[in-house]
Amino acid sequence: MQKVIEAAGLKLAYPRHEPVIKSASFEVETGEFVFITGASGSGKSTLLKSMYGSMPIYGGELQVGGIDMGSISGSKLYKLRRHIGIIFQDYKLIREWNVEKNVMLPLIISGFPKDVCRAQAQKLLTHVKLSHKSDKYPMELSGGEQQRVAMARALAHNPFLILADEPTGNLDDYSSQVVWDLLERANEELDTTILVVTHHIPEMLSANYRHLMIENGVLYEIH
Amino acid sequence: MRSIKDHMALTISLFAILFCIESLLVLDRIVKSYENDLKENYSLILVADRSVKVSDISHIDTLIGSVEPIDAESILKEIEGRMSEESLSKIRQIMPLFFSLKLRRYADRERIEKLKSELLSVAGVKEVHIFEKVHDRLYSMLLFIKSTLTLFGLLAGVVSILLLMKQMTIWQFEHKERMQIMSLFGAPVWLRSGVLFRLAVVDAFLAFAAVVSTMLYLSSNSEAIEFLQSIGADPDLLFRYDDIAVLAAVSFGVSLTCAAWVVARFKEEQ
Repeated sequence: MQKVIEAAGLKLAYPRHEPVIKSASFEVETGEFVFITGASGSGKSTLLKSMYGSMPIYGGELQVGGIDMGSISGSKLYKLRRHIGIIFQDYKLIREWNVEKNVMLPLIISGFPKDVCRAQAQKLLTHVKLSHKSDKYPMELSGGEQQRVAMARALAHNPFLILADEPTGNLDDYSSQVVWDLLERANEELDTTILVVTHHIPEMLSANYRHLMIENGVLYEIH
Repeated sequence: MRSIKDHMALTISLFAILFCIESLLVLDRIVKSYENDLKENYSLILVADRSVKVSDISHIDTLIGSVEPIDAESILKEIEGRMSEESLSKIRQIMPLFFSLKLRRYADRERIEKLKSELLSVAGVKEVHIFEKVHDRLYSMLLFIKSTLTLFGLLAGVVSILLLMKQMTIWQFEHKERMQIMSLFGAPVWLRSGVLFRLAVVDAFLAFAAVVSTMLYLSSNSEAIEFLQSIGADPDLLFRYDDIAVLAAVSFGVSLTCAAWVVARFKEEQ
């Protein structure tokens, strides 16, 4: 199995603050479904941010897709991000773009022709049961619908890794179910590595998963 | 509606800047053309007891353009019938040489007086006479209008730049979120700032087209033409095709610099 994420003695800290993550050593292999849990403010989201290069490495080592995140340059980072799908708790949809264009974003960035982007966006919107709202704008959708659009966007370019930050934190049961179903399907059918940061692991999940937990800035393997 | 409002803020500021520049260009041309006419109408007559060449006096002042001898015989011919041959012959013997001095460009009265006194110190020059047409009042008024317009132009420029800066802050706020999201998905700078540059180019074009249309309209407006003719200026001075390059360069230059400033200030949030 290929290693997708490798962290050794990883330390993360915001400027002029004590390290949030004091020590994190773990490996994630291709096709794994990993949950990272911990109390509020424990550094879960900070750890996730370091994996897509939005958080500088304070100490130790972190490799994502074989690339050292401590010394990654701007253009290499953007290249890496084009192969990662990210889901945010606050959805981060582009307000002035309609649903379809939001889903097309990773494909547009990767330079796919417009018709290919559109076809893929429509396919994914059908999966998240929002094909009838492809012309709507994010502000016209409910929170659950917005997160399903964000989910479709994260899957649009068949990423090798999906990073999800509290993806169902603000969602109703139906939208949560759609999100977990899709993550499971991507993991099972496409062998996509999934890493989810959450308060608690959903009971409805049928996939085999690993559970890591952060406590007092240290990452532990639960199972 | 929002789209029109988005464009208006930058377009109006740019229009103000371009219109000021164009007005200054037009006024500068009118003043220069007027100076040219005045220069032609100015004539300095040198009275000397020896020949004066331009090379003898050009070092005195850069204003000196040319020196042409005046044929004295033509003057004598006019009085030929009223004087005896003997008197005429005496006049011929004692008559000095006359030279017409033309200026390179128009200068004010003070400078001309200074030139006169310097010419009088040249060996052989006995007298210097200044012949001018009365244009000084209109010229002074043009200079006054030019300096007033320059001052207003500067003020309008400063106000427009302040408006542009305010608009840049709004742009920064408006486009930050989209640029942030695109950056998280790996969009290169050119792609995530594409919308901003497109907006800048469209606004620059709108302002440029508005100023050019206004000037083309004015250059064919009968009242504007009559006004220029009344002050003896060529109506063609109102709009020159060379101005298009200046206006386009300023419009696109300012607009794209503003967009580049917003892009340069973009910083991904942690």
